[in-house]
Amino acid sequence: MGAPARLRLTVTLAVSMVLALAACGTVGAGSAGRQQLTLWFWGAPPAHQKTMGQVLVDGFNQSQDKYTLSVTYNNNVDTNVQVALAANKGPDVVYSSGPSFAATYAAGGKLADLDTYAEKYGWKSSVIGPMYDVGTVGGKLYSLPNSVNTYGVFYSKKVLQRLGVPVPTSFAQLVEVMDKAKAAGMYASVTGNKGWKPVNLDYASIFLNQDAGPGAVYDALVGKIPWTDPALQRAVAGSASFYQSGYLGGADYSNLNFDQSMQLLAAGRSPFFLGPTLEFQFATDYFNDTAGNTDDLGFAPFPNINTGLASPSYALGTTASLSINGNSPNKDGAAEVINYMMSERFFTVMTKSWPGYWGVPLKSLGGASANDFTGLSRLYVSALKDLTAAVGKGNYGLDIATFFPPATQTALTNIDTVWLGSATPQQFLQTVQAAYQGDKAKNLVPPIPEPSR
Amino acid sequence: MAGIGYAAAEPAVTGAPETAPAARPSRAGRRRSGVYYLMVAPALLLSGLVVVIPGVLTAVAAFTDWDGLGLRPNWIGWTNFRDIFTDPVFLQALKNNFIWMALFLTVPVAIGLVTALLLLKRGRSRTVYQVVFLIPYVLAPITNAILWLNIIYNPISGLVGYLRGHGWQVSAPLADVHTAIYAVAGVDVWHFWGFLTVVYLAALRQTPVDQVEAALVEGANGWQLFRYVYLPSIRSTLRLMSVMIVIFSFLAFDYVYLLTQGGPAHATEMLSTYAYTAAFSAFQFGKAAAVGLVMSGFGLLSSFVFVWLSRKES
Repeated sequence: MGAPARLRLTVTLAVSMVLALAACGTVGAGSAGRQQLTLWFWGAPPAHQKTMGQVLVDGFNQSQDKYTLSVTYNNNVDTNVQVALAANKGPDVVYSSGPSFAATYAAGGKLADLDTYAEKYGWKSSVIGPMYDVGTVGGKLYSLPNSVNTYGVFYSKKVLQRLGVPVPTSFAQLVEVMDKAKAAGMYASVTGNKGWKPVNLDYASIFLNQDAGPGAVYDALVGKIPWTDPALQRAVAGSASFYQSGYLGGADYSNLNFDQSMQLLAAGRSPFFLGPTLEFQFATDYFNDTAGNTDDLGFAPFPNINTGLASPSYALGTTASLSINGNSPNKDGAAEVINYMMSERFFTVMTKSWPGYWGVPLKSLGGASANDFTGLSRLYVSALKDLTAAVGKGNYGLDIATFFPPATQTALTNIDTVWLGSATPQQFLQTVQAAYQGDKAKNLVPPIPEPSR
Repeated sequence: MAGIGYAAAEPAVTGAPETAPAARPSRAGRRRSGVYYLMVAPALLLSGLVVVIPGVLTAVAAFTDWDGLGLRPNWIGWTNFRDIFTDPVFLQALKNNFIWMALFLTVPVAIGLVTALLLLKRGRSRTVYQVVFLIPYVLAPITNAILWLNIIYNPISGLVGYLRGHGWQVSAPLADVHTAIYAVAGVDVWHFWGFLTVVYLAALRQTPVDQVEAALVEGANGWQLFRYVYLPSIRSTLRLMSVMIVIFSFLAFDYVYLLTQGGPAHATEMLSTYAYTAAFSAFQFGKAAAVGLVMSGFGLLSSFVFVWLSRKES
């Protein structure tokens, strides 16, 4: 290639690049004068991303003509959001893995105060009380949960039938069935923390709330009793005994994730999956009309371990939180997106194809009719209605991933050190106490609603 | 052991002849020096921006309670260091890093060396073997980790599941506190040893042929040939690779995080995963920075040892 030819090629490439960049700029600026809104979301499976695109993105964009929402998906969304917020960048709508993340961002001055929007859209009166309060810091609202979540027993009706046992309604019955399953060569239950260590918090939540009781958890969270209180130690020891008996995925707890666990449940390898209601989103892959086994799956609240507690009781939690970036130029638009999600219509449409993740925390959900849904969505809505009713009576526990401050949560994630014999309940809870004191000194403990005792 | 992407360079041995006392540089010499400095400037500037400044900021952060978000952290002196050195989890992580180092200084080095010696005698097929051995090294860690998680360690469909399905009561290696670190290290060794083979083979091939032939004429056996001819020839490469292994042993993160996230019960916790959890789960960036300094300290120490040994030899 001669020099003139090289020059022509260089000029052509340069002009092409400039045009391409200009074209990108045109797209980024939005079309038809609409302002761009961004939301970073976790790396949901393709089918769920499609639902999100249709129901949230297309739905919101068609509902008004001022903003264009776009959603990007990434499994490291929490880390990405943290780093971006630290640099005063990031998405307009801030998605985070629970109120404790949002509270830390708020304390760092990275989130917008939502009080004005709460008043404008009536969130204070429409959102379930404890779910609203947990998003406040210093009396101001900074986040709203996207969904309520609790823990329960997913069971295979066929396997229970094969074992010749009814659906357990007490902890003693649950253990009895799991022993039978083990004797029959099955997993007592299927679950595991492969790929997501905070799964440990689910079982810590169950034992703290349903053995020590919501009252003891509340007292520890507000500092009335230390985390080394005997009731809490007994609950942690109980969780260790439960694990060591093989009731949590047997020897494969570290080797299974929720998706594989549900696969095993559908394959009849265990009578139970013990875990959060957000698991409904994975259950649809294995219990569906194509496989002809939708009706094989059942769900029941996790029975109280301590029979002296009010029953049924649910550890109340959320799957994620929604906030507005303090540096967003489109805060009003971001608030519109959140309000778009805080509606019965959004709940209904999302839940029909993606049950488990969009139980929007509205008081009115108690009035939703499960008969309006089919398949697993119906089962999920039914579980949500029971949860909402229990919360209305004050019979709820305090989910760790929702109500606990960040360092305390991280310390509790290490409950597997007790399960595997590396620490005693007392040693473990001493580390929790130290972490809690650090969080308290930084004012990171969220407002804690007092449950019934 | 990811991220080692350097050539097995020999240490710089100048061997410069003795010169007369330096005279005052001429104007042309000074101009030439100015040009050299100008040419080095971009690299220095880049290093300053991406290494020195963040390094200094990290060192400062280690003495604060920075949460990674606000811009006004409090100065808390040595508190973060006191906290980590009294935390049993940190000590467990430190111990695991030493176990990791010991494993990587022996297992892949031995496999790589033996394989390189075997390949030394191969003809054209040597190239094919090298490419095959390098495949795990060039694959992304996430790919390797998923391969092992699904094909080997998966209790449903992997090798573990297959053996169980055929009546073998095999425990899941990643789920056992006693075997987890070896199971994770096994994956990393599998990905790493091929790289060492290629490096050692390149070094072995630099051995002067006349020395090898002389030894053979003198009747040296295989072991003697290796011990007295090849080993001295590749000693500097072995030393350099060992130092790099030590440095990267204290930076080990990807395979551990991808396979176990430091669990079960901290059985595979490393300094890096400990720091990551402190920073991104507990918002204790100051504490994470303190751990980072400790990790860098071990790397620096091994670098100094390497330089000292190199100087001693030269």
